[in-house]
Amino acid sequence: MEKKREPGDPVDCRAASRLLSAAYERKLSPMESQALTYHLDRCFMCRNFDSQLKFLHAASERFRSGDE
Amino acid sequence: MTDPRFAEIEGHRPYLVRYALGQLRDGQLAEEAVQECLVAALESLPSFGGKSSLRTWLTSILRFKVIDLQRRAMSERAHVELTDFAAESGEEGWLDDLFDETGHWRQPPQAWADPEAAFEQRRFWEAFEGCLDRLPAAGGRVFFKREIAGDDTETICKDEGITASNCWVILHRARLQLRACLEKNWFGKEARAG
Repeated sequence: MEKKREPGDPVDCRAASRLLSAAYERKLSPMESQALTYHLDRCFMCRNFDSQLKFLHAASERFRSGDE
Repeated sequence: MTDPRFAEIEGHRPYLVRYALGQLRDGQLAEEAVQECLVAALESLPSFGGKSSLRTWLTSILRFKVIDLQRRAMSERAHVELTDFAAESGEEGWLDDLFDETGHWRQPPQAWADPEAAFEQRRFWEAFEGCLDRLPAAGGRVFFKREIAGDDTETICKDEGITASNCWVILHRARLQLRACLEKNWFGKEARAG
């Protein structure tokens, strides 16, 4: 299940996680977005991380409004 | 007759202390700000119309108290302590604990089943706060300001005296730590339990 970076995949999981987080702070460049999409299409672990970031974001919002 | 909202206000204290701590980085000052905020809140409670949530209203009062205290503290203290940032954002060695030499997850993120259901459970919020508490100082503070208080990155950088890229590194790290902590302390357990 441990898969290496595919030939043609411009980013590894480490870089993908950085881009996924950065996307909450700034607009990714077209190159970055493209690279990230390519990677996510092939990596379920990073797709899970993507969902988890969305969850953290939603949880934080609830926490702020006291909607717990 | 005592307004039942008094008790409710007190219930928001831990959140408010965390908020103040994020802004002031000083336990004593934070307590002071919260204390002043609660006093002001009790005084103006009759005029609180309930248009926003109680917490939002309290936070807006706290904001002003924090700014006041910041001004006072700034005049006493010429510069801001930055040492914890050097350790938290300087090098990227911490990434090696999370990713192997080929750039893959050492502990791959799992699929969390029906995560939103957690919102309804009080124990989830305890786990969430516990994980926030376990973040390194700067990480916890910056994450709180960005994601919970909803400040923009520019403001955070200016307040903390860090560059935008420092800020992104700190947030990246904090998010990775939080997700790992929740997976271990909440979603992992829930999954095992059933």
